[in-house]
Amino acid sequence: MGRTSSDAILLEPPGLVPFAQAWQQQRQLQQRLLEDPEGPAAVLLLEHQPCYTLGRGADPEFLRFDPANPPHPLFRIDRGGEVTHHCPGQLVLYPVLNLQRHGADLHLYLRALEQVVIDVLSSLELAGERSSGQTGVWLEGRKLAAIGVGARRWISQHGLALNVSCDLAGFAAIVPCGISDRPVGRLVDWIPGLTTAQVRPLLLEAFAQRFGLRLRPG
Amino acid sequence: MTEGKVVEWLKKPGDRVARGESVLVVESDKADMDVESFQEGFLAAVIVGAGGTAPVGETIGLIVETEAEIAEAQAKAPQAPAAAAAPTPAAPAPAAAPAAAAQAPAPAPAVAAPAVAAPAPVSVAVSAPASSASGRVVASPRAKKLAGQLGVDLGALRGSGPHGRIQADDVLAAKGQPNTVPWVAEGPGPAVAVAAGGNGAAAAGNGAAPAPAGSAFGRPGETVPFNTLQNAVNRNMVASLAVPTFRVGYTITTTKLDAFYRQVKSKGVTMTALLAKAVAVTLARHPQVNAATSADGSAMVYPAAINVAVAVAMEDGGLITPVLASADKTDIYAMARNWADLVARARSKQLQPDEYSTGTFTLSNLGMFGVDRFDAILPPGTGAILAVAGSRPTVVAGKDGSMRVANQMQVNLTCDHRVIYGADAAAFLKDLAQLIESNPESLAL
Repeated sequence: MGRTSSDAILLEPPGLVPFAQAWQQQRQLQQRLLEDPEGPAAVLLLEHQPCYTLGRGADPEFLRFDPANPPHPLFRIDRGGEVTHHCPGQLVLYPVLNLQRHGADLHLYLRALEQVVIDVLSSLELAGERSSGQTGVWLEGRKLAAIGVGARRWISQHGLALNVSCDLAGFAAIVPCGISDRPVGRLVDWIPGLTTAQVRPLLLEAFAQRFGLRLRPG
Repeated sequence: MTEGKVVEWLKKPGDRVARGESVLVVESDKADMDVESFQEGFLAAVIVGAGGTAPVGETIGLIVETEAEIAEAQAKAPQAPAAAAAPTPAAPAPAAAPAAAAQAPAPAPAVAAPAVAAPAPVSVAVSAPASSASGRVVASPRAKKLAGQLGVDLGALRGSGPHGRIQADDVLAAKGQPNTVPWVAEGPGPAVAVAAGGNGAAAAGNGAAPAPAGSAFGRPGETVPFNTLQNAVNRNMVASLAVPTFRVGYTITTTKLDAFYRQVKSKGVTMTALLAKAVAVTLARHPQVNAATSADGSAMVYPAAINVAVAVAMEDGGLITPVLASADKTDIYAMARNWADLVARARSKQLQPDEYSTGTFTLSNLGMFGVDRFDAILPPGTGAILAVAGSRPTVVAGKDGSMRVANQMQVNLTCDHRVIYGADAAAFLKDLAQLIESNPESLAL
């Protein structure tokens, strides 16, 4: 059709995905786009098995456990930012995009990812907010979405994690994103009964809209 | 981005560096970027060590062409504090001038080619994805575009974005335009008052901004002159009184269309795009309904294309009809994107005349407000306009006496009777209904 530049392959692996598997898949997608920068973008939408990840420059001080003996698997990965926690009930969106098609500006990209979450919240009639100097999306002082990305030659990986209905207990073992004074939140505390299945289409729609992409199943 | 933190050097001084190989990782905020060498050679010296921060454009390391040059470059290079904890101001490269990487919006540092034969250390600078600290104007692409269109000097603006980056809103504010987005609803046909508040609570599954409850242009006791756009719309509406029009209504079951809409919604397809596509595909088989009376009233004009215009109300009064050109031949996804773009530019009043004046058939949709029926005034120069009301669950009686609940909406076609006769209108509506009722999936083909 000649419109590949606005196509994105949507992958929604079912169940709870081990972090290593999703990371491997992202690296394959990134490699594919590195080899063919004109090729279609891809986006992974999934939920992880419980785990912790550290950005490449993350400070282990923000772990409240012994890194040699973590309560859940711990990964140091090729993204920016401090430690975060993934768990069931949290939607994780990993766009593998050629950012040169989206402004070639990493900060702009972070703001656009925040906007996607703000758009999702707004479709749920909630007013998400940015916090100056702190990447992420907040609702009434609680952090609902964490964002961390990495790029090679403008091909992105990693992305955003939105807490929908997850158990927040796992966050107690860390200082999420190195921010100790503001708590982490989840959407069910505002919309009781909300499930990740209900939020998935909203997240995909907001993402496709914001990035002008046509998502098609891979 | 004005500065970056060196997270990690992936190469040690003395290491061979291949072209395209990652040399280091730079972090800014929550984003990491692998910085690759555009040059084959050897990493001679690290000037800003891991953990250090450098402003964009500073030299943070030296790459040389041959192994023999390493020692010389190292001798000239300032000592790299190993794993500096504190931000380390980086010194400029000793011999060669730092490559122009700072100004380049290139992804990786533009490692300039050492042109001279003498050992020419090449600087590795932190790349500047969109901006630079060195007095250059830093503005978002949209701000730049707007500034060009509105004639605003970016150099004179203070940006409100991160690190003073100039945003589109700053440009609009400088031009005296409100930086809030005017209310634009996909909505009222000419016959309907622009303040379409009414059942506004039922607003918009399709991204239209929620309507304020009953807007007005003036306060009680005031007389407010029409603005330019309102005057233009008024002239057209008065001109339409010279056209002998009649109206034909039809009830269309939308249960399948609604289900299909839910499937494609996540791909950015709006109900407006689906309706415009359905109308266009049906018009292709009913060219008489796409025709119009010529300006002098002497002939029937058959347009070369099917251009579906969709009425959009402007917050500050009047309405505009952005055009989905060749809607019968454009795929639904492209059309949805075109539409989003047209509405966005209608908001900022950037539509070109051919983008709102070349419609051959008009669609006016008040469905998002829960309206159950209305009719529309025919725009001059066209043969017909379709008023689309909201879809609602309705008890439907079958021919055999059975009852079921189905989603139904009323549509009302206003036609220029000189060109379109009742039978033409009825046949068009029957086909449109059949397409929407039985085969909405075909709209995506």
